[in-house]
Amino acid sequence: MMRIRLRGDIEKLKKRVASLAALVEERFRMAVRALEVKDPWMAEQVIAGDLVIDHEEVDIEEECLKILALHQPVADDLRFIIAVLKMNNDLERIGDLAANIAQQARTIASSDDRIQVPFEYFIMAQKAQEMLRKSLDSLVNVDVNLAYQVCATDDEVDHMKYAMQDEFSREAVKNQVNIESLVNLFLISRHLERIADHATNIAEDVIYMITGRIHRHGRRGPTESP
Amino acid sequence: MQKRRSLFWHLYFPYLITAFVCLVAISWYMARLVTEVSHEEDLADLKAQAIILQKFIGQNFSEEQFGKIDSLLREMAPSTGTRLSVVLPSGKIVADSQEDVSRLDNISSRPEIREALKGKPAAATRHDFDLNAQWSYVAVPLIINGEIAGAVRSAMPVSGGPSGLPRMRTLIIVGGLAIAVLLACASLYVSRRINRPVWELRTGVARFSGGDLRRGIDVGDWAEFGAVADAAYSMAADLHNRLKTVTEQRNELEAVLSSMVEAVFVFDTDERIIRVNRAAERLFQINEAQVRGRSVQETIRNRELHRFVAATLSSEENGGEQDIVIFGDPDIFLQAHAVTLLDAQDQKIGALVVLNDVTRLKTLENIRRDFVANVSHELKTPITSIKGFLETLKEGAIKEPENAERFLDISIRHTQRLDTIIEDLLSLSRIERQSERGEITLEEKPLKDVIEAVGRACLTAARNKNIALECKIEDGLSAKFSSTLLEQALVNLVDNAIKYSEPEKKVEVTAKKEKDEIIITVRDQGCGIPKEHLQRIFERFYRVDKGRSRKEGGTGLGLAIVKHVVNAHRGHVSVESSPGRGSAFSIHLPVTK
Repeated sequence: MMRIRLRGDIEKLKKRVASLAALVEERFRMAVRALEVKDPWMAEQVIAGDLVIDHEEVDIEEECLKILALHQPVADDLRFIIAVLKMNNDLERIGDLAANIAQQARTIASSDDRIQVPFEYFIMAQKAQEMLRKSLDSLVNVDVNLAYQVCATDDEVDHMKYAMQDEFSREAVKNQVNIESLVNLFLISRHLERIADHATNIAEDVIYMITGRIHRHGRRGPTESP
Repeated sequence: MQKRRSLFWHLYFPYLITAFVCLVAISWYMARLVTEVSHEEDLADLKAQAIILQKFIGQNFSEEQFGKIDSLLREMAPSTGTRLSVVLPSGKIVADSQEDVSRLDNISSRPEIREALKGKPAAATRHDFDLNAQWSYVAVPLIINGEIAGAVRSAMPVSGGPSGLPRMRTLIIVGGLAIAVLLACASLYVSRRINRPVWELRTGVARFSGGDLRRGIDVGDWAEFGAVADAAYSMAADLHNRLKTVTEQRNELEAVLSSMVEAVFVFDTDERIIRVNRAAERLFQINEAQVRGRSVQETIRNRELHRFVAATLSSEENGGEQDIVIFGDPDIFLQAHAVTLLDAQDQKIGALVVLNDVTRLKTLENIRRDFVANVSHELKTPITSIKGFLETLKEGAIKEPENAERFLDISIRHTQRLDTIIEDLLSLSRIERQSERGEITLEEKPLKDVIEAVGRACLTAARNKNIALECKIEDGLSAKFSSTLLEQALVNLVDNAIKYSEPEKKVEVTAKKEKDEIIITVRDQGCGIPKEHLQRIFERFYRVDKGRSRKEGGTGLGLAIVKHVVNAHRGHVSVESSPGRGSAFSIHLPVTK
């Protein structure tokens, strides 16, 4: 009887996490779009909607703790709950970062100087979006290979960020007038890189959930290749 | 499931039990009968002996004779195995072949003695306490000179039956075993025989369930089994037909759902996907086999859809509507309709969601909205200026010749601009109307002429900015087109090219034939167009750089006119551009065979 209750609660939790993941993914996409088309209204939606994400995160965490206390799950179920607790956090952070990007978008949209967001930013955003999508896919489909792919892509995004940082430093020296806009752009690249990091974290949590091995800080299991 | 026993055992046990019961009953009765007969024979024998003794005694029955008779009896006894006694009417035994007469009791109370003393021979069987056994007694009266002088009694122990009884018992046991074996064989035979039609039934029914209804089941001449066979056949045929109907209906439903343009989802009350159709698979890039049974939250990552499904399942109403957007490249706008599914008892068993793709409608709506806003804005600006200047003139500026002159010049310019805008708008709507009504005549003509005309028309503007205008046309190229319209379109393109190029640059017009198209390209080395605008620049009043375009005197309608002209020619326009390096606008005209 208890097992049925546990299964029911875990199913509900799965649905909630999937729903939050969908929301976060959408907000991220909206933020990038707001940046693309310089739409202040869209940016506003993302910024205001972050509250919902925060509430969801708290609810999910409470749900996890309740399951742990009531059912004391073991093995697969326990790993699942722990993984959810961790990625819950990452999802909320991604939501925050998306709101930050939206704020930059709002600033850029309403600013006077015609600062163009360079194409590289959108490529980086696309990469980050894809990483997020893959890590969420790996979660719902329980696909460990997809999760490994995400971890491998993180380096690319890091490189992109470094390249942009260099560009920023160079431009900052040349173009003192538009320093504020340049800083805004630089911040965006930082946010994107952090989002990619969180997506990687989620992938690592999925790997833990499936294999039971912790795949962080270069520690890899004996049978996997990096 | 109950353990089933074979037919053989079902037959054998009852038969065996019946046989044994009969056997036991008969043998017991027979034994009793035989024992009784034997007993009667014993009694007869006793009686005979008594009568003999009686005759022997005859008339010699007096007190002196008692001793003699007694010893005589004693002599006889061992050889006959019978106990003989002579009794007086008083009941006293005066001679006995076994016991000492002085020690014997009076036996007048004995039933056989009583009867005998009355004059009737009698028999009795009873338990002798002294000897602890069943004894048979026969007594006959001793009649001397017509008077009852006493009785003679013979007795012997009851035998256990004729000597043949144990032998009979052995015979019966052996017979019983033989019967058991015989019955087993008989049961086996019968069950084998019955098994044949049963086996026919079994294989026949298996055949039916496999779908083979070509022939019935042949059970031979067993009436009951034949009835079962017939019933099985008709039942199988009936089921087969029903199944066929159901399958047909299901296939029809499948066909309908698969060919629908709209995406259809069926959810159960747990928000799990029961069914999706092909349009839904395409829309969300999912696979029916993979998503069946999984919750909507896991399979489709669209928060609005989750909320919609949850709301539909939990609300009291029968369904609802909602607009849902799938963000992506490109965005897809959907109109979702949901209906709750109810079972026969009006209980909610799920929800049906139909998604309509209204992206095109939405886009058109956006274009229209933007257009109206743009037109209003474009018209308002010159009118505001004109109004302002006229009011200023009225208020007194008319008295200052210099200012008045200037104001009037500006107003005339603005009026001219209004005129141009409205002219372009009319032109555009005329082209559209003519195209719709098929009023545009296309003639096959060489392209050279029209392109040269264009060059001439734009020469002045090009010279003003010292821009070189080059035309390169493949030899003998001709197409089906309307001169006025194509000229207008090309003039617009070349004008734009000149407008957005720095002085001393080059504008090139090329015309060539490629596969089944004729492509006329206007290439410039101007400032280029950013990627995000390329989709929309052919829209009316769409401006990449609002400030600059208005300064150059553009109406924002030039490219829209180009697009409509080319569409009227059944062709299409395309554009390539890199910001900072230049753009190339191409008109593609179909080649008529």
